[in-house]
Amino acid sequence: MRTRIIAVLVLIIPSWIMIPLEDRIQSENARLNYGTVRVTREMRDSIGQGMAIALLAGFRGVVADFVWIQSQGYFEKREWLRQYRNMEAASLLQPFSTFFWNIGAWHMAWNIGYAVSVDPANFTKAEGIKRQHEWWNKARDFLQRGIENVPSRPDLYYAMGWLYWEKYKDPCNAQTYFHEALEAKGAPMSLDTSFLVIRHMEARAMEKCGDVMGAYEYWKQLWFQDRTKVPEMWGVVEREIKRLEDVLNIPNNKRVFPKNQSKTTSVS
Amino acid sequence: MTEPTQKNIAAAKPKKEWVGFSVRRVATIGENTFTEAVRQKVYNILIVFALVVIASASFFSEFTFSEQLKFIKDFCLGALSVFGTLIAIVGTAQLLPNEVENRTIYTILAKPVRRFEFLLGKYMGSVLLIFVSLVMMSIMFSAALAFKEHRLVSDASRTMGNTSRVEEKQELQQQIQQIRSEVLDPNLVKAVLLIFAKLALLAAITLLISTVSTSMIFNVTVAFMVLIMGHLVGTAREMWSSNTWAKWLLALIPDLGSFNVADNIVLGNAIPWMHVGAVVLYGLVYTACTVAAAHFVFSDREI
Amino acid sequence: MDAIRTENLTKKYALGWRRGRLLALDKLNLHVHEGEVYGLLGPNGSGKSTTLKLILGLISMTSGEARVFDVPCEKVQSRLHVGFLPENPYFYKYLTGAETLEFYGRLCGMKGTHLNKRIDELLALVGLAHARDRRLAGYSKGMLQRIGLAQALIHDPKLLLLDEPTAGVDPIGSKDIRDLILRLKETGKTVLLSSHLLAQVQDVCDRIGVLNLGKMILEGRVDQLISDQRRVSITVQGLPETAREKVMETVRAAGGELVSIEHPQTTLEALFLEALNKDKRGAGEHD
Repeated sequence: MRTRIIAVLVLIIPSWIMIPLEDRIQSENARLNYGTVRVTREMRDSIGQGMAIALLAGFRGVVADFVWIQSQGYFEKREWLRQYRNMEAASLLQPFSTFFWNIGAWHMAWNIGYAVSVDPANFTKAEGIKRQHEWWNKARDFLQRGIENVPSRPDLYYAMGWLYWEKYKDPCNAQTYFHEALEAKGAPMSLDTSFLVIRHMEARAMEKCGDVMGAYEYWKQLWFQDRTKVPEMWGVVEREIKRLEDVLNIPNNKRVFPKNQSKTTSVS
Repeated sequence: MTEPTQKNIAAAKPKKEWVGFSVRRVATIGENTFTEAVRQKVYNILIVFALVVIASASFFSEFTFSEQLKFIKDFCLGALSVFGTLIAIVGTAQLLPNEVENRTIYTILAKPVRRFEFLLGKYMGSVLLIFVSLVMMSIMFSAALAFKEHRLVSDASRTMGNTSRVEEKQELQQQIQQIRSEVLDPNLVKAVLLIFAKLALLAAITLLISTVSTSMIFNVTVAFMVLIMGHLVGTAREMWSSNTWAKWLLALIPDLGSFNVADNIVLGNAIPWMHVGAVVLYGLVYTACTVAAAHFVFSDREI
Repeated sequence: MDAIRTENLTKKYALGWRRGRLLALDKLNLHVHEGEVYGLLGPNGSGKSTTLKLILGLISMTSGEARVFDVPCEKVQSRLHVGFLPENPYFYKYLTGAETLEFYGRLCGMKGTHLNKRIDELLALVGLAHARDRRLAGYSKGMLQRIGLAQALIHDPKLLLLDEPTAGVDPIGSKDIRDLILRLKETGKTVLLSSHLLAQVQDVCDRIGVLNLGKMILEGRVDQLISDQRRVSITVQGLPETAREKVMETVRAAGGELVSIEHPQTTLEALFLEALNKDKRGAGEHD
C-alpha cells in the first residue's frame, strides 16, 4: 500500500511542477500558429465521423489531405460546389498554412472558372462568362480569407496579384498585391527564390497601371543591385530596360544601354 | 527429527555480499526483450507501412508537385505515428503478462536480479523496439521522398528541355530547386524525434498500467484511453484555462498533442530547436516519473 | 548454518474486497541442512509453491522469517547461491538452448569464455548438447525440464529449488532427472524439491516434509519414515507352496504373528494418506 501511495505521488508532484513548462509549450505553440482550430459541428458533418476521430487523434494534416483529394474527385465529376465545400473544409482544417488557400483559389479561378465557361449546360455564351466571373470572385474571397488567417506570408498576396493580373486584367490591384507580397514579413515558405519573379511582376503591373516611368526606375534599381549578393535574371532585366528606354525615349546619355554602343555591357 | 550430516558446519562465513544495480543486467533483459519481439516477427507490421509508403509515393501524380510532396509527408508521418503507437502500446502491454504466464519471470527474479533492473530492462527493450522500427520506417519514408524527388525533377527537366523561353526555363529551374529544398527538409527529423519521445512516454504509461493489471487486453484498452485523453487535454486546458481546479487536474494527464509537430513541419512552419527541446524535456520528465511509478507498484507486487 | 531456515513463516493471500484472507502457509518452520536433498510433499494447494516463492522473494511474507544461507529472503543477495526450476517451465520459446543459458548466465554476471564453457558443460550434463542450437519452441516437455535444470545450475549455486521437477515427464525422463539430482547431491549441493508424487522422489530425498493446508503435518528421514520397526520382511525366491506352511508354522512357534504374505512395500504413499486422514482440519479448496 505504501509503495502505491509513493507511486501516485511520483506521478502527481512532477506533473504539477511541470505546469510552467506545459504552459510555456502551449503558448509557444500558439505563438508559432500551430493553435488548434476547434472542430465545429458543421465541419464534422462535412468531413464525416471517421475523419473527425482521426482529427482528435492528432492527424489533422492527413484528414485535410483526404478531404482535399476527395475534392479533386468532385472536379472530375463536375460537382463544383461540392468541390468548393471540400476545399474550404481542408483549408479550415489547416488555416494557418497558405497551402490549401493558395491552391484552392487557383482551382477556382483557373480550372473551375474555365470549366464553367465552356459548360454545355450554359444557354448562352454570356452565361458562361458570368459564371466564370462568379468563380473568380469566389477565388478572390477565398484568398482574402486566407490572407486574414495568414497575413504574414507572401504566398497569398502573390496569388491574389496573379488573379488580378491574369483574370481580372486589373494591373493596379495586381501591383498592390505584388507589393504586399514583397513587404510580407513572415518567412516565405516556397517563395524564397521566387522573390525576383514577384519583383518583375510588380514592375510590369506598375507599367500597365500607367506609371511607366516608375516601372523604368524599378527595373533600373534591379539592374544596379549587388550582383554578388542577389540572384537575378539579368537578361530579363536588360531586355525590359532597353524596351522601356525606347518607349520613354530616354536620351542616349541617360540610358543604361546607350543605343550606339555595342552590347558589351557586362551581362552574366 | 534426526540430524543430517552437516558437511560445511564450520565453513567460514563469506564476506558480506552485495548485489548493486547493474546496467549490464538491464541491457541483457532489454536485449532479450528485443530479440523476442523480432523473432515473433513484430516487424511484419512494417510491411503494411511499406504499402502505405509505396501507395502514397505512386498515386496522386495528377496533383501539383507541392501537393504530392505534402501528401507523401503527411501520410508517411501519419502512418509512422500510427504504426509506432501500435508497436509501443501492444508491444509493451504484453511484456509483463507474457512473463507471468510463461513463468519466465520466476526464473529471472529467482536469480540475483533486482526487480527494478527487470522492469527497466523490459522497458528498454520496448524502447529499442520502437526506436528500430522508427528508424526503419524513416528509411522507407526517405526512400519514397527520394523516389518522388527524382520523378518530379526529371519531369521538370524534360519540360525544360522542350521549352526555349528563358523565363520559363528559369522558372522551371526554380521549381526544381524548390522541390529539392522541400524534399530535403531537415525539419522532418524534428517530427520523427518528437514522435519517438511521445512513443517512449506511451510505452512507459503502458508499462505502468501493466504493473497494476495482469490482462493484456485491459492494458491495451487503458493505454489507448490515455492516448485519447492525452490528445484532448490540450483543448480542455484551453477551454478551462480560467479554472484553477481544472488546471491542476488536467496537469496530471500528459499533453500528448504537443508532440504532434509533424503537420506544421510538413507545412513548412519553422519550429525552433528550443521548442523541440522543451517538448522532449517535458516528455522525458513524464517518462522518468512513469517508469519510477511503475517500479514502486512492481516492487512489492506478488508474482 | 542451514541452507534454508524459516521461522513461523506465514503467508496470507488477500482474496478480495471483504472476502478476507486465505491462510496459505501457517507458521512453517523448515530447516534444510546443507548438503541434503529435502522433499516438500503435499497435495495440490498445500502450500509447497507458496513456500518456494517466499524463499525466492517472489512474494512477500505476512509474518515470520525466512533465510537462505543466513541472508533474509527479501534481499537480492539471498539469491546469489540459489538456482530455481519452476513448475512446468516454458522459457523464451524463440531462444535456442544455448541462447537461453547464455541469457541466464549473463543475468548472473557471467561472461566470455567462462560462460561459454559453462554452457557446453551444462548442456552435456543434462544431455541436450545435440539440441543446443534448436529453438525451445521445438523442445519436448522433458527437454524443457532439463534445460530448466541447466538454467538453474548456470551460476553453480549451492542451493537448488526444484518445483515439481518430475511432473508431467515420462518415466525415463523422470528417472534421468532423479539421477541428476543424486549426482548434484554428490557434488555437495543442497536441494529442496517439491512434489505431489511421493513415489517419484522417495529414493532421492534424504528427508521429507508433508504439507497440508499450509501446515507441516509430517517430517522426517525417508528411511525412518518408511521402515516400520515392528515388521520384518523376508524376501525369498523359489519357495515351494508346501514349504510356505512350514515357514508360517515356524513363525507362529516363535511367537510371531503373520500379518500378510503380500510382497510388502510399505510405502510412503500409505503413510502420506494416513497422515492426511489424520489431519482433520477439513479440506477446502485452497490456492
